[in-house]
Amino acid sequence: MALKALDIYKILPKKNCKECGDPTCLTFAMKLAAGKGDITLCPHLDEQARNLLGASTRPPIRLVRIGVGERALAVGEETVLYRHDKTFYHPPGILFRIEDTLPEAEIAAIVRRVRTDRVTRVGMDLAVNGIAVVNRSGQPEQFARAVGIVEENADLPLVLMTADQKALSAALVHCGTYRPLIHAATKDNFREMCAIAKQHGCPLAVVARGTDDLAALAASCAKEGVADLVLDPSPQTLGEYVPAATAIRQLAITRTAPDLGYPVFLDATAFSPEDAAIVLGIVKYASVIVTSPLSPASTTAALTLRQNIYTDPQKPIQMNPGIYRIGNPGKDAPVFMTVNFSLTYFTLEGYLEASRTPCFMLLVDTEGLSVLTAVASGKLNETLVRDSIKKFNLESEVSHRKLIIPGYASPLSGRIEEVTGWKVLVGPRDAAEVGEFIEQVWKKEQAAGP
Amino acid sequence: MELTPSFDWTGSVGTVTLGATAADGGTRSIAYRIGGGTTLPLLPGGNPYHAPLVAFEICDDPRIWPSIALKACGDITQDIAAWARTAETAYRADIVRLYLTSTRQRNFSDIASLKKTVEAVLAATKLPVIIEGSNEPAIDSEVFLACGEAGQGERLLLGTAEAGRYRSIAAAALAYNHAVIAQSPIDINLAKQLNILMREIGVPRDHIVIDPYTGALGYGFEYSFSAMERIRFAALKGDTDLAMPMICSAIDSLNIKEVRDAGPAQQDAMAVRWETYAGISAVAAGAEIICVRHPESVVLMKEAIANLTLPKGGA
Ligand code: B12
Ligand code: SF4
Repeated sequence: MALKALDIYKILPKKNCKECGDPTCLTFAMKLAAGKGDITLCPHLDEQARNLLGASTRPPIRLVRIGVGERALAVGEETVLYRHDKTFYHPPGILFRIEDTLPEAEIAAIVRRVRTDRVTRVGMDLAVNGIAVVNRSGQPEQFARAVGIVEENADLPLVLMTADQKALSAALVHCGTYRPLIHAATKDNFREMCAIAKQHGCPLAVVARGTDDLAALAASCAKEGVADLVLDPSPQTLGEYVPAATAIRQLAITRTAPDLGYPVFLDATAFSPEDAAIVLGIVKYASVIVTSPLSPASTTAALTLRQNIYTDPQKPIQMNPGIYRIGNPGKDAPVFMTVNFSLTYFTLEGYLEASRTPCFMLLVDTEGLSVLTAVASGKLNETLVRDSIKKFNLESEVSHRKLIIPGYASPLSGRIEEVTGWKVLVGPRDAAEVGEFIEQVWKKEQAAGP
Repeated sequence: MELTPSFDWTGSVGTVTLGATAADGGTRSIAYRIGGGTTLPLLPGGNPYHAPLVAFEICDDPRIWPSIALKACGDITQDIAAWARTAETAYRADIVRLYLTSTRQRNFSDIASLKKTVEAVLAATKLPVIIEGSNEPAIDSEVFLACGEAGQGERLLLGTAEAGRYRSIAAAALAYNHAVIAQSPIDINLAKQLNILMREIGVPRDHIVIDPYTGALGYGFEYSFSAMERIRFAALKGDTDLAMPMICSAIDSLNIKEVRDAGPAQQDAMAVRWETYAGISAVAAGAEIICVRHPESVVLMKEAIANLTLPKGGA
């Protein structure tokens, strides 16, 4: 069971010496209680206190880092079963799988895709995280060659998928210092696998069926000195995945089975349809998901779903309210009013840019609600518009007094005119039609004078 | 004993029956009993009576239907009976969901034509059917009564009741013994409130399917996903006003930017991914009817659900 901050504080040395990096023992205790501290940072604890606190204050699911550098992946350290209970913190890594039997050019092409392809949504660049190399050939040299090709083409987190220790050692010559995830230790080979993982400081995946065996194997590997583990429950059918992953997550976060307190691994390529396995991995607790090199459609959908599920349910992604410029707008440029929900902003911005008309965007503070939602809830109203015009000094930006509002805000148009004195033009509902609107409505309006 | 999570649920999801076979006085070839889950979806006991179902959506006035769906279905979209039949025989949906989009024209008044449409669809397919009636309070009563009567004995699922307008549809459902979809905008409390209102005017619990409203993937889906999880959770915690099966229809999926901008070579693939990624996620969150509009989405959804609900040990 987790300890409360005060219980932990009682056990700490109460020297307030700051050596742990916290200003006082009490703030350190609060951090530990929240599962965010590291007990080993206090040098003044005796053995007994350390053991007592160690088990109950470390995060219920360990944070595991795969890879190094800019694209390194940190997974785990989750605390809830449902995102609405708090949030999910560390989005799962999605890694494209390649077999070492592929020709060099094909491997290089897939690696380059992962290195450069981006899906831009809501102002964020979403990308596939890395590459999983499978020792299909059974040959250590071939495996090492494939890993070498990946390394030559990019600096990406890797999963090395082989049970052959010779192949593993050969591959680690190329990437041993880059923290690849080794997949996988079994109950038969775990000592040797642990030795290799320790030697290179790599995280290690363990494979077993059933929570008992998985917990036992993870405990054995931890005893061998490998702390960074990932659990592969190796479901035999798609239907086995969710029960297995749910059991691991639930037993881990309640600290019922601390030996299951590690991120979960899912090889989606083992299932049909693979899309379904990817979806279930994303929504139900996978932290490392290996997929085949996906089509653009599946890639975009998977990255979008991952972004959705891993946003904080307490705060929509929002923009700072204010005036934003598209291009270099002059004093006669149109002003498009909208809300400060990021998705709305970026959607509208995209279409405004495509229209190639320099203009202003006035973002009013709806606390991150979309247009329709803000209208329906009353958050978007004429007073807010009036106050925003004043606050952001829109009157000094443009010489005209015309405000284009979203089509969905049309019920407000009369009232906005009344309280602001600005002429309101109701724009289209769909931002995609804003280019047309500029051509057909704004240009006429502009010709008519301010 | 294997380490197993314990949840200590005190409640369960209620059941709803859709469709009536000859044995129950209808003409459907199959009836589904959905709901009944005693734990989280996709866990053993989570979907005890039936695997999640896939409904294919069609409409009687295709002018306001997404062009991608119309293109994928082809000429049959001009003939509602053919479209319904194809949904069953070629696309292999579990349910046909008919939207009476013709009622959305201005000043619509041809109620008699709606009856004919519903009858044509019921004759063309033997699957259980969902009918989406009007969107306009002024004609609700007539429209829903016409639908209810045309489907008498068939145990339809009628849509869609909302907080401001649920009486006409409830009356039609009660008069002809159909089930009702109760929709609220992504909010567990509003969902509960609507169910209470429906109960108060006499709609039994086992005649209600909750629609928590589904924002498209990337366009609010995360809210819908969590709303569904919370509703399921509340049911398992014993809240009988939320203990109904759920329906998920991410209807904006085929209109969003990613799909529109995908380019001819990728557009169908993108549309299908957009529908099914939301659909499969919704199954994991507790939805038991997933609605789609692209024929290939039916195939992918059904394959996913079949493989998800294989008995243990099967291959
Ligand atoms: C996700 C969502 C929520 C989320 C909030 C998400 C957020 N950050 O806003 C949550 C769950 C919190 C929510 C709550 C509510 N919601 Co809500 N929600 C949605 C949903 C599914 C998607 C909204 C979205 O993200 N849209 C995408 C963004 C990009 O759209 P947008 O901001 O409108 O922008 C578009 C256009 O307006 C245009 N545009 C934008 N700016 C501008 C500017 C100009 C000048 C122009 C020309 C165009 C333009 O471009 C964009 C793309 O085309 C919609 C359904 C839907 N299809 O819209 C319902 C919906 C908007 N919600 C609805 C309702 C009723 C509510 C609530 C009032 C319910 C309640 N009583 O509690 C609450 C209000 C919130 C509160 N209590 O404070 C209803 C509104 C009904 C109506 N027609 O009035 C909807 C339509 C659902 C429904 N059919 O019932 N909601
Ligand atoms: S290092 Fe230990 S003794 Fe010093 S302030 Fe931190 S917790 Fe207290």
